[in-house]
Amino acid sequence: MAPQKITIEPVTRIEGHAKVTIHMNDDDQVDHAYFHVNEFRGFEKFCEGRMFYEMPQITPRICGICPVSHHLAAAKAGDIILGVTPPRPATLLRELMHMGQIIQSHGMHFFELAGPDLILGFDAEPAIRNVVGLIGADPELTVRAVQLRKFGQDIIFQVGGRRIHPNFAVPGGVNHALTAEKRDHMRQGIDQAIETTQIGLQLFKDWADANIADIEKFAVFHTGYFGLVTPENGLELYDGNIRLIDREGHELEHFSAQNYLDVISEHVEDWSYLKFPYYKKMGWPQGVYRVGPLGRLNTAEQIDTPLAQKEFEIYHQINDGKPIQHTLYYHYARLIETLFAIERAQILLDDPEILSNDILNKRGHFQGEGVGVIEAPRGTLLHHYWVKPNGQLERVNLIVSTGHNNWAMSEAVDSVAKTYVKGPEVQEGMLNRVEAAIRAYDPCLSCSTHAIGQMPIKLDVINSSGEVIKTLQRD
Amino acid sequence: MSSDTLIIGYGNPDRQDDGVGWHILRNLADKLGHHIPDDPGASIEVSDPKVDLIYILQIFPELAENISKYKRVCFVDAHTSDIPEEISWVDITPEYEKSPLTHHMSPRTVLSIANTIYDKKPEALLVSVRGYHFGFMRSLSPQTAKLAQDATQRIWAWIEHNLQSK
Repeated sequence: MAPQKITIEPVTRIEGHAKVTIHMNDDDQVDHAYFHVNEFRGFEKFCEGRMFYEMPQITPRICGICPVSHHLAAAKAGDIILGVTPPRPATLLRELMHMGQIIQSHGMHFFELAGPDLILGFDAEPAIRNVVGLIGADPELTVRAVQLRKFGQDIIFQVGGRRIHPNFAVPGGVNHALTAEKRDHMRQGIDQAIETTQIGLQLFKDWADANIADIEKFAVFHTGYFGLVTPENGLELYDGNIRLIDREGHELEHFSAQNYLDVISEHVEDWSYLKFPYYKKMGWPQGVYRVGPLGRLNTAEQIDTPLAQKEFEIYHQINDGKPIQHTLYYHYARLIETLFAIERAQILLDDPEILSNDILNKRGHFQGEGVGVIEAPRGTLLHHYWVKPNGQLERVNLIVSTGHNNWAMSEAVDSVAKTYVKGPEVQEGMLNRVEAAIRAYDPCLSCSTHAIGQMPIKLDVINSSGEVIKTLQRD
Repeated sequence: MSSDTLIIGYGNPDRQDDGVGWHILRNLADKLGHHIPDDPGASIEVSDPKVDLIYILQIFPELAENISKYKRVCFVDAHTSDIPEEISWVDITPEYEKSPLTHHMSPRTVLSIANTIYDKKPEALLVSVRGYHFGFMRSLSPQTAKLAQDATQRIWAWIEHNLQSK
C-alpha cells in the first residue's frame, strides 16, 4: 500500500488558520507529523505609521480571547517609549485586570475545553465529551466552571469599564480610577473562585493518579523553559525580568525584556507561517524552549501566595525539583496559576492604594523605542515598537505566546501521533489525542474573526498518488 | 431585562463584514430610539420593553445564564462559504458543537449549556448575513451593507410579530 497522508484541518476561521498532517508509511505507522499554521496576518506591517499611544487600542483587535494581554503589553511598551513609570495605583489596577484575564482564560480552558477530555476520557463519544457531558459527571462543578470564567471576565469589566476592547491602560498609567463599590463587588467572588479552582486541582490530581501511564508517554520531551519571574525567582505574570532555564533547570539567562533580541532569535520553516523562536546561544533547534503555565512553573522557584505555593510544592516534586517535561502537566500548572491569580486579585483588592486617584504619570523623557512584556495566559508576550520623534511607529515586532511554543506544539503532535495513531483504520480516540496534544498548549492562532460557515474537522487519508482514499469528518 | 426577547449580535467589527452583527444591532437600536455612537465596536447593551439587545465579540459560556432568562433569543452573525442564502434564517436547538483546536463557541453550544445547566430552552433563531470582505476595516462592503438593511427589516418584523402574538 502506498504511503498515506492524514490531514486534520479545522477551518474554523475564514483565514483557515492551522492544520495537522500525519504522514503514514508503508507499514501503516506514522512516519512524521506536522502542526502547520497557515495564516498570515500582517499585523506588524499594518501598525506601521500609527501613533504609538494608539497601540493599546489597536493591538487587542489581534485576539478576541486575550485582548487584555495585548492591551497591557502595548501600554507597557508605551511607558518605556515615554520614559515614564506609572504610579503604583495604576500598576495595581493593570495587574488586577490582568489577573481577571488569567482567571477567565485558564478557567475556560480547563473546565470547558480540556477538562472533558480528561474527565470523560479521550475515547468517549464526541457527543458527550464536552462541557455538557460533564453534567453527568458533576453537575455542580459545571455550574461552578461557568461562574469561574464569569468572575474573571467581571474583573476585566469592573476595572476596564467595557466588556470588549477595554479603553483603560495608557502609556504612563491608566485613565480611570476604581470605585470602592466596584472593589467590594469583586471581592465577593473570591472565595467561590478559590473553591472551584481547588476542586479542579483535585480533579486533575485524581485523574493523573489513574492515568500516569498515559502521562508518561504523552508528548514528553526536553526543552528549555522561559518566563517572567520576581526578583526572588517567584512566579510573576505582570512584570519582572525574563528567566530562561535549560532542561535540567540550570539558569541560562536572566534578562530584561528590553534586551530580548540579544537572547532569542526566530527560525523560519517553509511549512508554517508562524516563526519558531529559540535561544540564540544554543542555536536552532537545540535552543527551543517552552512558555505558558508549564514553562512558568518550571522557571519559577516559588509562588508568593500561600495556597498556590502549597500546590506548587506538590507539583515541584513530580520530577524531584527538576523541570517537568510532560505536556499533560500543562493542565496542572494552569490550575495552580489560576489559584495564584485569584489570590493575587485578593491581595490587590485589599491594597489601600487600589482606590487612589494617582493613576497617571505624564512626566517622562521620550525614548523612541520600547519593549512591553507580560505573561499572557498562554505564555510570554512581547511588543517591541520603534518610534519616530513625532510618535509615529516606524517598526513593530510582536512575539506572541503561541509563537514561542510553535516548535513544542509540532513536536507534541509528532510524538503523540507516533505513539497513538496506527493505520490503516484510524480511530476517533487516536485523533482526539493528537488534538489534545495541541490543546494542552492552549494555542491562540486567530481568534479575531469567526463568521458562520466553517468547515468541520476533517481527516483525509491520501495515498502517494494524491488520491483521497478515505475521509473521516466530524461535524 | 425588560423584554422576553433577546437579540445577540456577535462578530469582529474591525474585520469588515465579520462585524455585520454590530451594524444590524445598531440599526435596531435606532428603531427603538436608543442612540449608539457611530463607532463600530461601541458597546451595545439596550434594555427596552420591546426587545433587549446585546453585542459581543464572540460567544462565551456564561452567556448561557443570560439567555436562560428569556423566552426567545435571536443570534445575529456573518456567514461565509457553504450557506446558499444571502440572509440565512434558521431555527436552532441546543446541540453541543465541539471546536477541536480553538476557543470558538457556537449559538447551539451555548443553548446546550443553558438547557443543561439551567434547564431552560428558549426559542432560538440564528440570522446570518453573507460576508464578502474581511479586511482590516470597520465599514461593511457595499453588498453586505445592503444585506444588513434587509436583515434589520426582517428582524424588526419578527420582533413586532412576537409582540402582536402576545
